[in-house]
Amino acid sequence: MRHLSDGTLRRIYDEPLALTSVDQAHYDSCAECKARFESIGNTARATAGLLSVPGFTPEPAAALRSVQVRIRREEAARPPRWYERWLGRTSPRWRPIATPAIAVLLAAALLTGVTATGAAQTLLRVFEPKTITPVQVSSSDFASTSALLDYGEVKWLPDAPTLHQLSDATAAAAESGMPVLMPASLPKGVSGPVSFGVVSHATGSLTFDAERLRASAAQKGVHVNPMPASINGSKLIVNAGPALVEAWGLSASTSETQMPTLVIGQTRVPTVDSTGATAAELEDYLLSQPGVPPDIAAQIKAIKDPSSTLLIPIPKGLATTEPVQVNGVPGLLIKSVLGAGVVWQSNGVIYAVGGQLTPDQVLAIATSLH
Amino acid sequence: MLQIEAWRPTVTRTPARAVNPLVPDPFERLFLEEYPKVVAIAYRVLGDRSAAEDVAQEVFIKFHRSLSPDSERAAGWLHSAAVHSALNVIRGERRRAQREIAHALDPAQTPAANPERLVEEAAVRQEVRQALRKLPQRTAALLMLRYSGLSYAEVATALGMKVGNVGTLLRRAEEALRKEVNRATPE
Repeated sequence: MRHLSDGTLRRIYDEPLALTSVDQAHYDSCAECKARFESIGNTARATAGLLSVPGFTPEPAAALRSVQVRIRREEAARPPRWYERWLGRTSPRWRPIATPAIAVLLAAALLTGVTATGAAQTLLRVFEPKTITPVQVSSSDFASTSALLDYGEVKWLPDAPTLHQLSDATAAAAESGMPVLMPASLPKGVSGPVSFGVVSHATGSLTFDAERLRASAAQKGVHVNPMPASINGSKLIVNAGPALVEAWGLSASTSETQMPTLVIGQTRVPTVDSTGATAAELEDYLLSQPGVPPDIAAQIKAIKDPSSTLLIPIPKGLATTEPVQVNGVPGLLIKSVLGAGVVWQSNGVIYAVGGQLTPDQVLAIATSLH
Repeated sequence: MLQIEAWRPTVTRTPARAVNPLVPDPFERLFLEEYPKVVAIAYRVLGDRSAAEDVAQEVFIKFHRSLSPDSERAAGWLHSAAVHSALNVIRGERRRAQREIAHALDPAQTPAANPERLVEEAAVRQEVRQALRKLPQRTAALLMLRYSGLSYAEVATALGMKVGNVGTLLRRAEEALRKEVNRATPE
């Protein structure tokens, strides 16, 4: 039989029970292995001497107190979390609505939309997603200055949506009025605690104003097509939320760069109603505006009914999509090097599951939510 | 070869029963369980109590920012961060010798020992640390983790290697350290 390796002999110096019975039988009868073991043991003893240090008794309780003081201090001064910054940047005013294609994309991405309110019968529904479609975008699509044009007056009725963070599932369910969804099991690498974010229900309106648009375009030196009379003065009413987001992998003192390992989100389907302009008029006008990338306009025009389609922006070259079924409902699976996500809609609610996971893991979580 | 009396690891571990399983906060529980090991690793590398405590504190703060205390990777991450942070300290350090000798003479640390011998031992530790600096980081990390009392399985997890390879690599690391020390202090 072959002699025991140096590595095996070194291990049994520290962990004698690690030796298998076959190796033990060989060792017991092999003078050469015993001699090598002796030499290896001598080196280990000498190394222990070289690396020795005087004794001391650690004080974990005192150390914990000082670490907690530092954590509290850092948390007080911590920058907003990534999703707070994300929502904060876009929700207070609908700046992106200035460039409609981008507005629609961002609205979809942010799960923000518009609904009929009390006078629903007199309103024209221009957006209520029933299907989900990807739209390829590149980062330069969002850099256009015309995205900041002023198309009219924005109002929130009564207030802009807010994000409230909670750490308790019961409180999150109560505040959002939505059930907290949990996967049957968590994949390796995803673990608690869960942070909850509740975005309040919000109703907002945009009143198109040809004069405001002309003035803001002139100020920025951008050419815009004049607003048709059918759109000027008409109002879009957006009704969105509430939304409930559950995130794993965010510690209490999240750094700016930290991304959650798993996010489960749900929101009531957003809707947009118009007091005058039709969906087709809005689409034609808004997609013809300068600053709307032609390929995005072409992709939206190719969609049979954009007013019932939730567009999911997919960064070109960084992610791919494929249609999937989630418990018998059509969904969109998004795959990238950073992770995967799946979006689907069921019974008036849009669901999304994503994270630093494989597509299979994401689908397993999506189908097991309860 | 340089010879000093070998003695076993002398960091007193917190007994398992001292960790209250009812501590509700997962981070606190993890801290109380792992702090003794984390500080022992840093102390084994640095040989300086307050420097080791500083490293351990930084490691836990960094952990708190980036990982969940319930993560399966928590312990391995902490051990790995402790050894690499401490090795980075000695690699960047210039005035270790004076500090360590002063530390050795601190009566609060070593009440009944012979001062001359303590200074000699501190000087030896300084030479060993210089030798460690010359080893590849992974080799030095393996030695320090094992000699801080981590099991082969824990060492393998912390360094992302197979447990079956730890013995072989440890043996090579010990030989490499012995050669570096002998080169620095020829008989």
